[in-house]
Amino acid sequence: MSLSSFQKNLIRIQAFAFKNWIITKRNFFSLSEILFWPLVGLFSVGLLTVFLKLDADMTGFILIGVMSMSLIQVCQIDVAYALLYDLWAKSMKHTFIAPIHSFQLILGSWFIGMLRSSFVFLLLSIFSLLAFHFNFFRSGFLTVLFFLLGLFLIAVLIGLCVCILVLLFGYKAEVAAWSITSLMALICGIYYPVSILPSPLPGIARAIPLTYFLEYFRSFYGFRNELTYPLGWGFGLIGFYLLLGAILFKMVLHHARSKGTFVRLSE
Amino acid sequence: MALAIKAEGIYKTFRSGWGRKRNKEVLKGVDLQIEEGEIFGILGPNGAGKTTLLSILSTLLLPDRGQIRIFGMDGITDGHRIRERVNISSGNANFVWSLTVEENLQFYGMLYGLAGRRREERVNFLINLFDLRDHRDVPFDQLSTGMKQRLSLAKSLLNEPEILFLDEPTVGLDPEVSIRIREQIRAIQKERGMTILLTTHQMKEAEYLCGRIAFLKTGEILASGTAHDLKRMVRIGDLVRITFEGNISEEELLRAEGVINYSVTDGHCEIMLDDGERRLGPLVSTLTQSGTHIKRLSLRQVDLEDVFIEFSKESDSDPGLRL
Repeated sequence: MSLSSFQKNLIRIQAFAFKNWIITKRNFFSLSEILFWPLVGLFSVGLLTVFLKLDADMTGFILIGVMSMSLIQVCQIDVAYALLYDLWAKSMKHTFIAPIHSFQLILGSWFIGMLRSSFVFLLLSIFSLLAFHFNFFRSGFLTVLFFLLGLFLIAVLIGLCVCILVLLFGYKAEVAAWSITSLMALICGIYYPVSILPSPLPGIARAIPLTYFLEYFRSFYGFRNELTYPLGWGFGLIGFYLLLGAILFKMVLHHARSKGTFVRLSE
Repeated sequence: MALAIKAEGIYKTFRSGWGRKRNKEVLKGVDLQIEEGEIFGILGPNGAGKTTLLSILSTLLLPDRGQIRIFGMDGITDGHRIRERVNISSGNANFVWSLTVEENLQFYGMLYGLAGRRREERVNFLINLFDLRDHRDVPFDQLSTGMKQRLSLAKSLLNEPEILFLDEPTVGLDPEVSIRIREQIRAIQKERGMTILLTTHQMKEAEYLCGRIAFLKTGEILASGTAHDLKRMVRIGDLVRITFEGNISEEELLRAEGVINYSVTDGHCEIMLDDGERRLGPLVSTLTQSGTHIKRLSLRQVDLEDVFIEFSKESDSDPGLRL
């Protein structure tokens, strides 16, 4: 029985999820990404808030930032891994000689990224409640859901960006998988409101969806919204960047076929 | 016979360095026609452009100029449809390290849209075909070079391709494994009748596997045809060495059929024949009847390496000459 195009799409998406899942469960570094680093981040910053004798709201402000950064990093690295593993194994040509579409590669790996990231969220929620008496679910289930969806979508944007850079610059770009999230955290106000940033950084922060999602989530913990309709702006910007990213990725794939990137990175 | 691959005027230049000023012209107007069901070999030294040509024909790389037709589809605009029907295996195979043999095959099987039981059956079939049963749960990075190559071949047959591209399939393998891989390639082609395009720099491998061969040097096809045709084209002939007693009649040698050239020195004679296998018997009869007592005789048949060297010499001395 021949399969419909829709079924074949699903199977190809499943392929990238399968690869990331196997690598996640088999590699120590992959496990440390979801267990070690997020907990180290939460505890070190959490203990700093204790030392500085910050009140509950301020502690929440900072822990929301730490949590966001961990969730985005874990989820985006899975999307980036869709190409990074091929880059490291020099097997890129075998992936791109198969009849795949770019969205299948991104969606499959993003799915595992969301799973891993959701696990990190649960882990950090429990530990922050136990260690610092901060409840991430105080704002309500739907709010958490919107916030997480926003973070996961931001992660797919960063992962897409890393994939584009890898196809353009090869090994030189792999560092982007670990640096883009940190750079974004600096501008979007992970540990502080964006209003304290020197000009022109607040303007740049307004062009990044994470700023709006942090603003939205923190508004449930006693912090006044400085931006209007943060959720609408956040999702709107994500939609725009996703469209832009999809077009760019397609163009870069064409560029890679023209420049021999798949062959060069497989030698 | 219908054409599986038709390439016309393929050019490719790689640009590098600041401002893309450093140019390397890798392919210079390659024309190629490959019929359905044949094993076609592209032979050439390192840096000849073999991998670039194969990458272009397999849609991994876009040419700067030229036209490609794969089963009548446009090789540049119909890449996705073509990729459904082709596959590749290359020497020094690389796959994701931590995935086992079976997981790698499952992964690539999914990329080719194989579902559920059909994928399971295909993976099991290929694991058995390439004798990978004992290694099915071994991660890729723990496999020997020969096993990696077998996995690469197994992966390349997952989608039952109509065209199989093999890029130096036995490079880096020991002779025993190379022979086995060659036999497997030949058996698979015979059984399935698929078209195979193979690149190699090993002349013997090309001669053993390929129906037709093209010589590629510095991005240009020097000559193409069957091994027999190519040998005849260069007219360097097969060399017969004779140690004899008595005399050898030079008149008889001049009259004998197929003698291209000869030299006679004290008790030794070297004769160049256009076709050693066919001409040797009559030549020996002629010499024996004319009173020559042959003590020792040897025949060294021209091989593809000699032919390639000859074509290279011709092209170096006359760059306009292309056959």
